[in-house]
Amino acid sequence: MRVALAVFSVLVLAVTGVVVYNQFQSTWQDNQKAYFNQALTLAKSDVERAALTGREPKIEQTIVSGFGAQRIDRCTSCHIAVDDPRFDSAKQPLKTHPYSEAMGDVLKNGHWQRKHNFTDFGCTTCHDGQGRGLTVADAHGEEEFWPSPMLGYTTQGDWKKENADHLKGAAFLQANCAQCHTDKDFKGTPEVAKGRELFFKKGCFGCHRIDGLSAGTLGPDLTQIGKERKLDYLWGHTADPRAYSATSIMPKFQMTDAERTSIVIFLKSRHGNSQSESDVQKYVNKTAASVVLPESATALEGAEAAKMSQVERGEKLIHGLACLSCHKLDAQDGGISPDLGYEGMERDDQWLMAHFKSPRSRIPDSNMPAFGLPDADYEALTAYLLSRKTPPSNATSAELYKQLCSRCHGEKGDGKGPNWLYMDPAPRDLTSAPFMNSKPRERFINSLHEGVAGTSMPAWGKVLNDDQINGLMTYVEQTFVKTPRNPIKARKIPDANPQKSTPESIAHGQEIFLQRCTGCHGRKADGNGPNAMDISPRPRNLLNSAFVNKASDHRLFESIEYGVDGTAMPSWIDSYSQNDVGDIINFIRSLNATGK
Amino acid sequence: MASRPDETGGQQISRRGFLGWVSGAGIVGSFAAGALSTYVFLKPRVTYGEPNKFLIGRPEDFPSGARMAIDTRRVCIVREGNKIAAISTTCTHLGCIVAPSPVGFACPCHGSHFDVDGNVTGGPAPKALAWYKVSLTPSGELEVDKDNEIQIGSYLTV
Amino acid sequence: MTNEKKSLWKNVVELPGNFWRSIFRNPLPSSDRERAATSFTNFFLHIQPVRVNKRTLKPTTTFGLGLISFYLFIILTLTGILLMFYYVPSTTQAYDRMLDLRSSVAFGIILRNLHRWAAHAMVAVVFLHMCRVFLTGSYKPPREFNWIVGVVLFILTLFSSFTGYLLPWDQLAFWAITVGTSIAGYAPFIGKMLKFMLLGDVTVGQEALLRFYVLHVVVLPVVLITFVGVHFWRIRKDGGLAKPEVEDEPKAITAPVAAPVAVSAEGGRKFTVQGLVRGAFVKVGVLDEDTVFSWPNLLIAELAVLMFTVAVLMVVSYFFNAPLEHPVNVMHPPNPAKAPWYFLGLQEQVSYSAFWGGVGVPALELLLLVLVPYIDRGKEGIGVWFSRKRFLANLLFLIFVVINVFLIIVGTFFRGANWQFVSPF
Repeated sequence: MRVALAVFSVLVLAVTGVVVYNQFQSTWQDNQKAYFNQALTLAKSDVERAALTGREPKIEQTIVSGFGAQRIDRCTSCHIAVDDPRFDSAKQPLKTHPYSEAMGDVLKNGHWQRKHNFTDFGCTTCHDGQGRGLTVADAHGEEEFWPSPMLGYTTQGDWKKENADHLKGAAFLQANCAQCHTDKDFKGTPEVAKGRELFFKKGCFGCHRIDGLSAGTLGPDLTQIGKERKLDYLWGHTADPRAYSATSIMPKFQMTDAERTSIVIFLKSRHGNSQSESDVQKYVNKTAASVVLPESATALEGAEAAKMSQVERGEKLIHGLACLSCHKLDAQDGGISPDLGYEGMERDDQWLMAHFKSPRSRIPDSNMPAFGLPDADYEALTAYLLSRKTPPSNATSAELYKQLCSRCHGEKGDGKGPNWLYMDPAPRDLTSAPFMNSKPRERFINSLHEGVAGTSMPAWGKVLNDDQINGLMTYVEQTFVKTPRNPIKARKIPDANPQKSTPESIAHGQEIFLQRCTGCHGRKADGNGPNAMDISPRPRNLLNSAFVNKASDHRLFESIEYGVDGTAMPSWIDSYSQNDVGDIINFIRSLNATGK
Repeated sequence: MASRPDETGGQQISRRGFLGWVSGAGIVGSFAAGALSTYVFLKPRVTYGEPNKFLIGRPEDFPSGARMAIDTRRVCIVREGNKIAAISTTCTHLGCIVAPSPVGFACPCHGSHFDVDGNVTGGPAPKALAWYKVSLTPSGELEVDKDNEIQIGSYLTV
Repeated sequence: MTNEKKSLWKNVVELPGNFWRSIFRNPLPSSDRERAATSFTNFFLHIQPVRVNKRTLKPTTTFGLGLISFYLFIILTLTGILLMFYYVPSTTQAYDRMLDLRSSVAFGIILRNLHRWAAHAMVAVVFLHMCRVFLTGSYKPPREFNWIVGVVLFILTLFSSFTGYLLPWDQLAFWAITVGTSIAGYAPFIGKMLKFMLLGDVTVGQEALLRFYVLHVVVLPVVLITFVGVHFWRIRKDGGLAKPEVEDEPKAITAPVAAPVAVSAEGGRKFTVQGLVRGAFVKVGVLDEDTVFSWPNLLIAELAVLMFTVAVLMVVSYFFNAPLEHPVNVMHPPNPAKAPWYFLGLQEQVSYSAFWGGVGVPALELLLLVLVPYIDRGKEGIGVWFSRKRFLANLLFLIFVVINVFLIIVGTFFRGANWQFVSPF
């Protein structure tokens, strides 16, 4: 016991000693001592020298209260020479902060005078980082948990390597300049201005709200995104949204690195509460009902635009607006959404207008936002699309498939073309022989001819002639389905629903539906049952009125009684009588009958 | 390592004595270091109020003959010709803020009077107003250090 | 006059000596009598008996767990008081003060580390102490009530640690307390009310921070100190550490009734009887062989345990910093949001059944813990580790321990995003 006591006592003394010793060995103390020594050699008078020799290192700090919440910046504890012009060629941390005329500093009587005085601004107002820290890791915000590491300088440990390389440089500081300099054309923040332009050009404004800028509702509000997220997230999420949130519906927009840098800087500058705005202005922005139009659109309202025809105006708009950052038109391709080249032949003006105003009124699960533009613009766009009447050049079926179908159905016919991720319902997998062979050829021809209502599949019958359509179908059968078609066994399917649509019938149908169907189709029949995410193709959204109302009773009977081959839909013929199935169909139809 | 009952033996006593000394030194030493650390801990290294060392501007901001009281900093900047000084405006009696008057300073609380250099001319104040060190930073700005009191009448020449 | 002057002078000369002796009434003891007197007359030592059983000093008897718990509490009190000098229980300042502890406050980081690790250690050590008491059957009569006091102390320890968890006001703290208080909300009838009372609001915010602060620095410590006092006093009154029955008991006598036994300082008298003692546990007569004087034997052992505790804590605190995560962001809960580790067993249970996991099972376990000494009243196997005669009781208790430890380990290491099973490796 006595030995133990002695050993532990000495151990405690030793550790205490180490702790006390370390307390008086800080980097900032060393840095200050180095500064005093170097300043001593530069000193011109004895008084100055005496003052320097008598100086002891102490924590230097600036209390900044003028810009937002109070902050305490102790950066000058190490960077003690920031305001000492004699150290402009020294190495960090003892380097003078550069003077810059662009930032408003002026040279007067041989002395530089700063516009952004450090005693007023501190350091973190512009640079971010953790002002209270006194070690490099703490102060620069290298430590993973610090929400605002030094902009364009510090890379945190958990940042993705491939992102981190893009996130260095003084340009990122513009995000903080823009906190006060909100002026759109402020010459000190060109990247923010470029980012703002891209925010409209790339269509971001369609889905995202930024108070005072845009009013999208499909995606999250970005008013404060710069305060909530670090550069790594902003870069990574715009580059590949699903890598950061698995269920994101945000598409991967095509952008160059330079464009992405601008967008990231712009987003980083969104703090929600700009210093230069009054509280009243913030409230006005927040509650503004009217949508701010992108400049590209408003630019077309001038005198020159008045002289244009609707079609010309539409053409300008479709290129000036964000349409082609998703859609394809001729040579331009956003790689996300359908080709607009033949849309004018496939759809009529009513459909187009309604779809512009509310895409989901025509394709209920579309990811296209309602951009909220003035009707005149939509009319012009419609007029332009309708004016395009040139069918695709006569070519082989293979070329036609590649040109018209592969964008969604994929070059291999597996339903995974470049757009497939953003299509709901997903493009049909044409290689799925069980499905393809369980339906008569006429049905597919019909789909090609008339399109599939409520989905992105357009009516190719208005673009192609019957030979071309037959050729395409044959091409699909030979190239993708491959397995020869067996004669389909005769199925006992009524052509019309034997059950009358009475409240009792609907109630019974609902009862069965709630019992057996909700696991996949969901309690609301919207196709979002708890198992839906694990099923491919996804369960049908039975609230897609355009689709359901177009589907015949015969087809619904067949799908329910015999199941759908090649999908997760099972056969219910052993469980339910035709009358039961009739009730279910009545229930489903009743869901889609509202308002008609 | 159960302790043995109190048997005594010559060798053991010295061993015990040694262990006792080592333990004692360890405990007392740690205690002393702990007490010292506690003192260092409790003495604030930074304060959150107005700093005692601050910049007040450039020499040309103060014309000759200026007597400019900065109430938030509790100093009065005095310039005579090319000589600059900072005089405390905290009354040496009980800490009120004195106001500059044509003949010096006057305290509104208990009626102390000071001349232009801060020497007591009347009232209960026990001593003259303090003069603080003013220096010129390398960037050409004036810096007042309230932690550094200097002799009355010592100016910074600019 | 001269006499008076003389005596005054004498008093002045002797003042330092008298002053010293008035504080330390005994010289460094050199005889048994002085050793006894030292224990007896010193305020800090008189809580201990004059003589202790040799078994008591054997490390394997208790592993010093109770003592370590007490020392940890002392360390927590001291570091806690010091930290209070720099802490502000405000949602806008608390986190900044944590940053200041890491930077501008001298020794701030080591103090915070000491406080944090000591708090975690105390929860663990108090639980281990409880295990020791059970596995050696030391809760049996006449120590039933002290066992209950111990259970109360365990719960108080948990709550002290839990309330302190919120104070750094980082993401870890905020969501752990959100989760923890939500578990409390599952209690029937009073759950909602209890949660509202704890938080002072419907969600964790400024009110909760203030309430947790007051509970943490005043209410719980005061209650805890009171119960610790009772706990210690009871140990003495119940006859010290539980001892195994001696095979041959001819020398054992029973103090007849609760009558005071005077301790006189006359020569030849052994300074043995501790005062007013009940029951058959006082064995006069075997003292010479089995016991040693507390001064210095017990004192040295206690000091050694103290220095051991401090040493381990200092080393751990030197190498590992207390966690400090993102500042609170009420919009972005971490996934998974976890309660403090000692409540992760509960959280794991809650993920199976809200009522049974969060309230039913814990309440039942607590009730059983409290009732154990009244259910299991046999005299067998007292004071011996894993006594064969207590096989069933020990087995049941070990199952209880293993299940809870297992749940905590699962909750801590094997639960990832969305509370899915993940492998920590």
